[in-house]
Amino acid sequence: MSYTRRDFLKGALGASTLLSFAPAAPSFLVRSATAAPRRDDRNTVLVVVQLSGGNDGLNTVVPYADDEYARNRPTLRLPTEELHKIDSLIGFHPRMGAFLQLYKDGFLSIVQGVGCPNQDRSHEGAMRLWHTADADHPNRQTGWLGRTVDGIRNPNRTYAPAVFVGPIAQPFALNAKDVIVPSIRLPGDLVAAQIPGQPDDRSQGIRIAELPRANRDNPLLDFVRQCATDAYTNSLRIESAAQTMANTAEYPPYGLAGHLRTVAQLIRADIGIRIFFVELGGGGIGGFDNHANQMGNHCALLHQLSESVAAFVHDLRRDKTLDRVLLMTFSEFGRTVSENGRRGTDHGAAAPVFLAGGKLRTGLVGSHPSLTDLDSGALKFKIDFRRVYATVLDRWLGFEGRTVLDGQFEALDILSV
Amino acid sequence: MAVLMNRFAEYQSGPRSRGGQVGAAVADRPGDPGWAWAAYEPSTQRPWNLVQAGHLYRRAAFGAAWDELQQALSDGPQRTIDRLLSPQADVAAFNREHDEYETSAAGSVDELRAWWLRRMIQTPHPLLEKMTLFWHSHFATNAANVNDVRLVQRHVQLLRSQALGSFRTLLQDISRDPAMLLWLGADANRKALPNENYARSLMDAFSLGPGNYTQKDVSEAAKACTGWFVLRGQLRYIDREHDGGVKHILGQKGSFTCDDVVRIVLEQPATAQTLVRKLYHFLIGETEEPQAELIAPLAESFAKDYDILKLVETMLRSNLFFSEAAYRRRIKCPVEFALGIVRGLEGMVSTTQLTQDLANLGQNLYHLPTVNGWTGGLNWINSATLAGRHNLALALLQGSGPYGGKLNPLLIARKYGASTPESAARFLLDLFLQGDLDAGVYDAVLKTAPAILATAQAPADSAGNEFEDRLRRFTHTVATLPEFNLT
Repeated sequence: MSYTRRDFLKGALGASTLLSFAPAAPSFLVRSATAAPRRDDRNTVLVVVQLSGGNDGLNTVVPYADDEYARNRPTLRLPTEELHKIDSLIGFHPRMGAFLQLYKDGFLSIVQGVGCPNQDRSHEGAMRLWHTADADHPNRQTGWLGRTVDGIRNPNRTYAPAVFVGPIAQPFALNAKDVIVPSIRLPGDLVAAQIPGQPDDRSQGIRIAELPRANRDNPLLDFVRQCATDAYTNSLRIESAAQTMANTAEYPPYGLAGHLRTVAQLIRADIGIRIFFVELGGGGIGGFDNHANQMGNHCALLHQLSESVAAFVHDLRRDKTLDRVLLMTFSEFGRTVSENGRRGTDHGAAAPVFLAGGKLRTGLVGSHPSLTDLDSGALKFKIDFRRVYATVLDRWLGFEGRTVLDGQFEALDILSV
Repeated sequence: MAVLMNRFAEYQSGPRSRGGQVGAAVADRPGDPGWAWAAYEPSTQRPWNLVQAGHLYRRAAFGAAWDELQQALSDGPQRTIDRLLSPQADVAAFNREHDEYETSAAGSVDELRAWWLRRMIQTPHPLLEKMTLFWHSHFATNAANVNDVRLVQRHVQLLRSQALGSFRTLLQDISRDPAMLLWLGADANRKALPNENYARSLMDAFSLGPGNYTQKDVSEAAKACTGWFVLRGQLRYIDREHDGGVKHILGQKGSFTCDDVVRIVLEQPATAQTLVRKLYHFLIGETEEPQAELIAPLAESFAKDYDILKLVETMLRSNLFFSEAAYRRRIKCPVEFALGIVRGLEGMVSTTQLTQDLANLGQNLYHLPTVNGWTGGLNWINSATLAGRHNLALALLQGSGPYGGKLNPLLIARKYGASTPESAARFLLDLFLQGDLDAGVYDAVLKTAPAILATAQAPADSAGNEFEDRLRRFTHTVATLPEFNLT
């Protein structure tokens, strides 16, 4: 987004009330109005997509050339001719044509064989591991993204650095000690509401917050005034962003697509949110946990994932916003290589992680795990999930991954930043 | 305007301040413990007035109705604080009744949340609920990990039973509280595998504070606490799982039990100091870290008997509490923000809806984010939560919607004799902020209400509803002022 905060204020508020106040306004307000809206060193954005229930990676990125695949999947085997082939070994699920196109265009990477050490193959235990990123302390009370936002906290920060978009309870990954991470469904949930037909409360709110106060040396009052100004300014920005680019983009009628549309609008509003979290499969609609009759449900979910992410990428491509966005999927575990006799699969281990964005360097990362060298019937992981976290924290967001992850995990060299 | 002016005799007001003569702040000696903790006596330099009464009710209660402020004005600070510390009403009967409601009507933690908010609004002893909320954040638990409504209910009852009682008893009881042990995953403390989670939380978050113990103390304390289990929601002691060996804890040596750990922790001066500091941030202010000299006399006294009421009383009566160093030196938590509106307008709203809205603002009762509680302060506020507060105030004050128009500023203004548009507007500024705004801000806020004046000249019946709506809108302007987010 090329327009600056100043342009925005001119546009949305008519003559800039903030600047016309400059002689009387306290210096902190003047600074915020005239400085470029650069909140951190970078303006990159991470979008995490949680696939709840344990996604069957083997039927997502299919090793069709390996005879073991067909042998282990008598009823769930996907016909080779229907796969969207990536190379001579693997191909996408038949309903994931959109992902193949993204892959060919360089907007999608597949990190193969990602998993956790010591996961107990229970949904709760494995998900907790992915959320806390702490294999040694299952009781850890903060999530990896919660620690991230606590770590970038700064007394002058007036905006929420992370947001969960979705109808289910906020995933534990976002649990922070200090920072309040909002849970929303629509951009409007972050907007200070306005009674239709009444004079604009937001402009009035900004004007009153900016009125000079006799200096009582009260930092709390200054901070709340600054936040009030930003809350109302952001409200106008969000509304304005919703009316422009994002509204014209086509999204399929899926819940995930709707949430990604919300994310796109909030990225364009440029209100300082660096981390978004969305989810597919939770909230009692079946999800990826298919112990029986997996085929139909899994097809539908992968189609929703593929189409929704593709719509999001196409939307953001139009104005180069995609260059500062990285999307990352994960699921608590993959599934067993063999079917379980009920046309389903059981809890497994390693699975692929997808990355989507405008700054990817490599399409395929790592190699497909062996289908014969297994860990209790499931694929062994080759890439520790915390290396993926380290990659997005250090290389993409520019935060200190080592502090968040309690140790140094080697980042993957897959981004061009 | 001239016509209206004649009616102003009924209620008149303008911007106020904490008052006193110029130089009063110079006479304040907030860093001097002798001055700071001495009881505040009204004087011409530091008068007792509406602003001070409002400050007291925001901190020691959840805000005030207009008649409470007026009563406080005529009673003076001593009698008002007496009443806040121990009201004449039968508090025990009220709480018994509410305990029964909880037991019979609350089948889920969500319902418990709503009942607690209701209790906060209706209680004859708001300071007790305020302090229960303080301990709720101090002994932070999360019901999601406890998974038993009755245990969660009993946990908060335990906090309430000693909220103004003995910290010694509180710490002992908490150490045996099944909800606490389940939440911390300390519900199976085997001899062969001592669980350090409770011992660490006890020392780090509940008593001594960081830097006042070592990992060795934690390990040894965990051994002393072996033998304690929570089985099917019941606390159980299994003697053969207790490690009877000698432990070294904080410089003491013996074959200690869990009770000894609590005793030893309470014998450490750091415990009283840490608690006094925490209560200082809760009752006095959170903008500055108080000097050790300021904390020392209160901590020494607190360490003798761990009498919470006495400590709270000293702080509330103090010069420091009524000084510039405390005034508006805290950010309201979401509960204080919402209940300030509700109590000021003397209504009752759907607390089921309200608990959810407060959770969205970061204060989910019974669900503390970590064992460190709500760290609060500046963390309460960002541009998203402030937009959320704007929307919550709007919903509370609307004539319809989820809160169903249960609050009506016009009725309250009329009840206290402010029935003209301008006097009603000035009254509301007094009710919520005691008129304490910079003159320019006060005038600007008042000027947002010209439509109120216009409607008053319309025929009475058609203007009635319009006037009511305009006053709701004006109240919303007051509740979204930056100053209203401070306490």
